[in-house]
Amino acid sequence: MLLESVAYARPETVDQALEMLSSTDGAAPLAGGQSLINVLKHRVASIELLVDISRLEELRTVQDRPDGTLEIGACVTYDELEHSEPARAAHAVLADVAGHIEDQQIRNRGTVGGNCCLSDPTNNLPPILVALGATMNIQSAGGVREVPAEEFFEGYFTTAVGEGELLRSITVPPLPAGGGAGYSTVAVGADSKALVRAAAMVRADGQIEDARVVLACVAPAPFRHTGMEGALRGSEATAAAVREASLVIGEDLSPPGDVHASADYRREMARVVARRSVWQAIEQGGGRRG
Amino acid sequence: MTPNGVTAETVTRPAEPTEEVGQWAGQSVPRVEDRRLVQGQGEFTDDVWMHRQGYAHFVRSPLAHAKITSLDVSRALALDGVFTVLTGEEAREMCSLPFFQIAPEPAGKIEEWPLAVDKVRYHGDAVAVVLAETREIARDAAGLVEVDYEPLPAIVDTVRSADPDAPVLHEQVGSNVAWKGTYDWGDIDWALQNADNVVKIDRLHFHRFSSTPLECNAAVVHWDPGTDTVNVRSNNQMPMFASMVIGPTLGVASNRLIFASQDIGGAFGVKIGSYPQIAALALLSRKAGRPAKWTEYRTDHMLSAGQGNERVFLDTEVAVLKDGSILGFKTRAFDDAGAYLHYEPLGAVIWSQVCCGCYKLKHIRVDYTETLTNKCPTIPNRGYSRLQHLWFLERMIDIVARELGFDPVELRKRNYVQPGDYPYETPNGCVYDSGDLPRSLDMALDLIGAERWRERQRALGTGSGKRIGIGIGSTLDSGTNNFGQARIINPQLPFSGNGEAAYVKLDLYGEINVNLGTTPQGQSHETTAAQVVADVLGVKPRDVHVTAGFNQQQNTYVAFSGTYASQFAVTGLGAVKGAAERLREEIIELGAYALEAQPEEIELRDGACTVRDDPERMIPLIGIANIVYSNNAVLTPEMRDRLSLNARYVYTPPFHVPDPEAKTGNLTLTYASQIHACVVELDEESGEVEILDYAAVDDCGTRIHPQIVEGQVHGATALGIGAALYEAFEYDEQGQLQQASFYDYHAITSLDAPDIKVADIESPSPFTLNGAKGMGEGGGAPLHAICSAIQDALGPDDAVVSESHNTSERVWRLVHSGERGDPRGVTVSTRDSSE
Repeated sequence: MLLESVAYARPETVDQALEMLSSTDGAAPLAGGQSLINVLKHRVASIELLVDISRLEELRTVQDRPDGTLEIGACVTYDELEHSEPARAAHAVLADVAGHIEDQQIRNRGTVGGNCCLSDPTNNLPPILVALGATMNIQSAGGVREVPAEEFFEGYFTTAVGEGELLRSITVPPLPAGGGAGYSTVAVGADSKALVRAAAMVRADGQIEDARVVLACVAPAPFRHTGMEGALRGSEATAAAVREASLVIGEDLSPPGDVHASADYRREMARVVARRSVWQAIEQGGGRRG
Repeated sequence: MTPNGVTAETVTRPAEPTEEVGQWAGQSVPRVEDRRLVQGQGEFTDDVWMHRQGYAHFVRSPLAHAKITSLDVSRALALDGVFTVLTGEEAREMCSLPFFQIAPEPAGKIEEWPLAVDKVRYHGDAVAVVLAETREIARDAAGLVEVDYEPLPAIVDTVRSADPDAPVLHEQVGSNVAWKGTYDWGDIDWALQNADNVVKIDRLHFHRFSSTPLECNAAVVHWDPGTDTVNVRSNNQMPMFASMVIGPTLGVASNRLIFASQDIGGAFGVKIGSYPQIAALALLSRKAGRPAKWTEYRTDHMLSAGQGNERVFLDTEVAVLKDGSILGFKTRAFDDAGAYLHYEPLGAVIWSQVCCGCYKLKHIRVDYTETLTNKCPTIPNRGYSRLQHLWFLERMIDIVARELGFDPVELRKRNYVQPGDYPYETPNGCVYDSGDLPRSLDMALDLIGAERWRERQRALGTGSGKRIGIGIGSTLDSGTNNFGQARIINPQLPFSGNGEAAYVKLDLYGEINVNLGTTPQGQSHETTAAQVVADVLGVKPRDVHVTAGFNQQQNTYVAFSGTYASQFAVTGLGAVKGAAERLREEIIELGAYALEAQPEEIELRDGACTVRDDPERMIPLIGIANIVYSNNAVLTPEMRDRLSLNARYVYTPPFHVPDPEAKTGNLTLTYASQIHACVVELDEESGEVEILDYAAVDDCGTRIHPQIVEGQVHGATALGIGAALYEAFEYDEQGQLQQASFYDYHAITSLDAPDIKVADIESPSPFTLNGAKGMGEGGGAPLHAICSAIQDALGPDDAVVSESHNTSERVWRLVHSGERGDPRGVTVSTRDSSE
């Protein structure tokens, strides 16, 4: 549809892509295009050159290492991640999140890297990647640098990926012994606006040993709620204790309010999704008390 | 019996087509339209291409209410590829008159032109339109039209817009009141004095939404200077209405204003409203000397194509006897028509087709005010004007049940019109034709297994974080309007009755061809018309060719022609049947003549006339056609003069002119019913609503094609669920539309919709030729059923469900309203029995 006139290139290698991105003003990588094309359609961004990286094989694989670490190429689609056996074996919750992004047509095209690099605060994958302690591998002509997911998402539509750089892959460490992950969203309808999301990774054995609780949609970027994490650590792995811990979430949040939900509601729901995700993580890890 | 206790006969199954002649109506034969549609061979308006056509794009106001202080098109015109730009002022100069207004004065003084002139009145109001070589250039050029606005205060609240000090949209009207009147039937004052209980409900609000058809509006308009005709290829669904409104404005006679359409991708009433754009495109074409093609963008559609009516009911009082008999109610209704009156203020009377809903209410007073606001104009949307009122009535019933401790099922059954009451005359003179509401309700409750859910609800108790609610929506889909009801709005309007035309002919080699006055949008008129004709003429449906779509120069029509307001099965197929019967008489007469027999001896079947008991004497339809078309010297001069094998018939329902003073009359011919039941689960901590079970029981009289009926039931159900939970058009205080794309307007999809259990009753209408009743719109039953179920799940101290749109947040607030001590919005006064 109605894009402004834009040049298009399809490099053969990541190096070529990087060369194009760094040598052309206004160049931007195009992967699945599920957000970028809409952005162009609405003319809220002006791009001179689309560098299509979606067919670069080196970015399109999901690999598991002997130590259980998962490496997901940036151009792996949601559908591929959902159905990837290594991903499902190592991180079923991550595969499920990918499998619930919008609808099948979008999952066939949208990519993991695109979901992360757009850094829309309501996007599905960033909170779970932060919760799982993933590492984002950013490539430039000079090599690859590693950035923890926690630091990667900087704010509304901004990430640690700089000029002349490209997200190459995401490394997700294995769940620790006794660890589990959880994810929860309150949204409009089945596949529309997310109002608030939470993702969690919890290590428990009757008692919560460690917890990472990430909230999204309520701030410019997903973030760990260290207050709730602290409240969880050392408490019993029971629903009541999780509920109690979630109560520390509240006035510290300044979520947006809009036609879909008020800031008050999003704040309240942050507690709700936080405890749901934590409880799911405890259940998945088999660490609940009793 | 099914596990839910529903007998097999009541559950719809796809009927296996049989080959028995004379029995095609009633079977779910394969749809004729499907082949071309699934193979991408349909022809939608955007598929139409005309030589030298340009592409149009409208320039729309970003503000809700503002004076246009300057409008400069020079930058747009300078863009390479732009043919021309038409401004509002130029359009006015080219027009003979403003658009005809249905409203009486003072709102009748509204001057609406094809494009806004001097000021804009809503976010999305069109001020100019560009014609260019490509769609892209047209859109770019539209962005270069420079408009300076002087903002004016906006009014978006329908109740406040009626205040004398509210900002006025149309200065010549003097206020924002589009129409105001009191409907007063029976004696509500007496009823309220003599009721054992009076339930007062402060405020109920029915929200704005639309059907968002898959295909937006589109038109290719050519003002042909060679023939001085205006050709309109469009997806407008009521072209005769459009023609009658824009013809005088453009100064074009109706025989030179030619509407045509083939396939239409959904309309739902909304596509009645594309006539202002079509008028602007005609002028644009005239100015440019080229055809103007326009395919609306979704955001343009949402901003300006028309939205459903929003209505507020204030200070409702319901008179109830001890035994649960409801005597009647009074209320003050405010309906928000938006910035211009498109088809409005007809909504101010159309609700009264169902003034008492499914119930035997005798005393009704409604003070009705329709107002103008700085919002997109409303346009009839599936269930037009009745669903708002039916929602109000169903909320009323549930609230009465809750406040006075009645079982909502028993209260409904006690007050329903009973099977023995038909034909039932309502307090305003409408006549309900047939039905069985109590049995429909029982079937719906059986389908969801209501008893089982009641037990689950009780067992759930408190502390689980979940609540279960069971809800009912009882509705009527009134079909085949008596247009005389327009006189209740404006006694000067020379409208009454209704009708539809059809044309059936035997062609050169004995083929049968049908054409219709309708503009179907997925309702399978080709399929069902062929079924009806096949039965009359003794052939198979595949032997009957129904011309796809509508073309004013080829098809027959009346002023009411089109596809809207749940009436094709009655009016359209009534016309088809009448025309086919006229043709049959000619065929039999000719057959008798050719076979030297008496007409009574002729049987018409298997494509031939045969003498009864003497099958050797037979003439096929090709022979009949031969006689008239190419062998007419064999006929007598009188027969040659009279017989043409071309039959036209206009079906007209048996209506009288309503009484505008008393506001009474038979306003619609048929009353289909939809009784829905559902089960929802509310999450206490989030307010999320999950539909656990859903059933729809439909009674639209004799069904011509059960599967097509069922498809429309599913569609209406999905739309209603979407509206109840997700879909809304809301404006901020400045009049900015908050949901102008599918990012923000969550139209329901299959991911949201529950499995829908469907069953039916067929109560034939005694008033129609084929026993059928209009259907398709539904009465918004899912809105009622879901609100009812949410209400059922709430606690006794919680507020009543007073909004038709219930987001998770709204439900969450309701779930906790009792704890917070929020006002409940309802009070009960009980008459002292010692009085």
